[in-house]
Amino acid sequence: MTSLLNKEFRLAASPLSWIFLVAAGMTLLPGYPILMSAFFVCFGVFHSFQNAREANDVLYTVLLPIRKQDFVRAKFAFTCCIQILGFVLMAALTALRMTALAGAKPYVSNALMNATPLFLAFALLIFTAFNVFFLGGFFRTAYKLGIPFLFFGIAALVLIFVGEALHFVPGLEFFNAPGGERPGLQLGILLAAAAVYALATWGSCRASMARFEKIDL
Amino acid sequence: MNVLEVQGLCKTYPGFRLQGVSFSVAPGSIMGFIGRNGAGKTTTLKSLLHVVHPDAGEIRFFGLDVNEHEREIKQRIGYAGGAVDFYKRKPIRVLADVTRSFFDNWDDDAYRRWLDAFSLDERKTPAQLSEGMRVKLSLALALSHHAELLILDEPTSGLDPVSREELLDAFTFLRGTGVAILFSTHITSDLEKCADDISYISGGKLLASEPLQGFLSRCAAEGAGTTLDEIMVHFEKESLYDKFAE
Repeated sequence: MTSLLNKEFRLAASPLSWIFLVAAGMTLLPGYPILMSAFFVCFGVFHSFQNAREANDVLYTVLLPIRKQDFVRAKFAFTCCIQILGFVLMAALTALRMTALAGAKPYVSNALMNATPLFLAFALLIFTAFNVFFLGGFFRTAYKLGIPFLFFGIAALVLIFVGEALHFVPGLEFFNAPGGERPGLQLGILLAAAAVYALATWGSCRASMARFEKIDL
Repeated sequence: MNVLEVQGLCKTYPGFRLQGVSFSVAPGSIMGFIGRNGAGKTTTLKSLLHVVHPDAGEIRFFGLDVNEHEREIKQRIGYAGGAVDFYKRKPIRVLADVTRSFFDNWDDDAYRRWLDAFSLDERKTPAQLSEGMRVKLSLALALSHHAELLILDEPTSGLDPVSREELLDAFTFLRGTGVAILFSTHITSDLEKCADDISYISGGKLLASEPLQGFLSRCAAEGAGTTLDEIMVHFEKESLYDKFAE
């Protein structure tokens, strides 16, 4: 697996996967749907898959001394590495907004979603959608990228809409407090989202391994 | 024990059927795998490499089932499928660095010798090489981990006559060290120079798998020709003139 991950980073990874990590910085933007940052992190990973497909990565890799299912594991591992890096950056900036910048005027009067643990939970759900819809869809054929990404895009937009709309529901306004009200509840939701991310990614990886095994390349 | 045994390999695609292909490759031997375009050579080789899933049949390398020992088997075989057509914009040095990390028996000295023999510059990318040079790169990568069996798909296509001759010398040398080689080719004169055995596939069926000299003698006695080219033309030629006239 180490060799495969090394191959992913040295050969398959598009520079855009790293560049789009900068999108995590959008977490600081007031008056902007900051969940788009999670979408852009996934968009960067999509570019690596496109780059790898154009370079005949699948055939090169499966002819190396590996099992076909290891190829799938490595792609999931690479994706999770990028997503976790993006998440750590978002979490750090969220902590900054909730503490030192909690009283900043643009955040206090922000009509859109503020950076809170709930925001991080939704970011994880967007990552989950990518791992289920895009990765799971890609490994049905190992070459079709467009339709799986479209499904992910739709799921991401729904999640962004729900995330942005939630604090407008009467009684749920506290979700958008810049300092993070009811931290216990919000952290509980974040932990639940992390569990969903881990379980759904694991399930999608297992299903993808089974699908990829059956494909004639 | 044979390095490769294939029994009853079947695979059906729309419009094509591989039908019960069986053959074996002995250690230290060179087997030529011939057949016209679309005969089933690539499907057979891809099935051996677990890239295509046969509908039926058994494939054993070194006595091991390919489905159960895929990783172990791939450590002991080398594959070159014509010119390198992956990561053509990455420097050869990087490709080799990544590739070597997968092989327990990677031999840097051997790799350097093959690069030198093929006049390949590691600083270049495959995209900067001609088709023939990319074939040589593919072979250099396949030959650098002490494979016991080399599976080569059209290894001499795109090479100039001198390089082809040099490569055939290399195959003869490798055979002397105990390496077995299975190679498919359209350039049948190459096989006549170095092959011990021949497997001839036509329309998805294996017509023959036997020692080359015996095959040539038998076909000559039947009036089918004295060279592999003549034999293939004798068995396969369809008159396009008649087809168009129908």
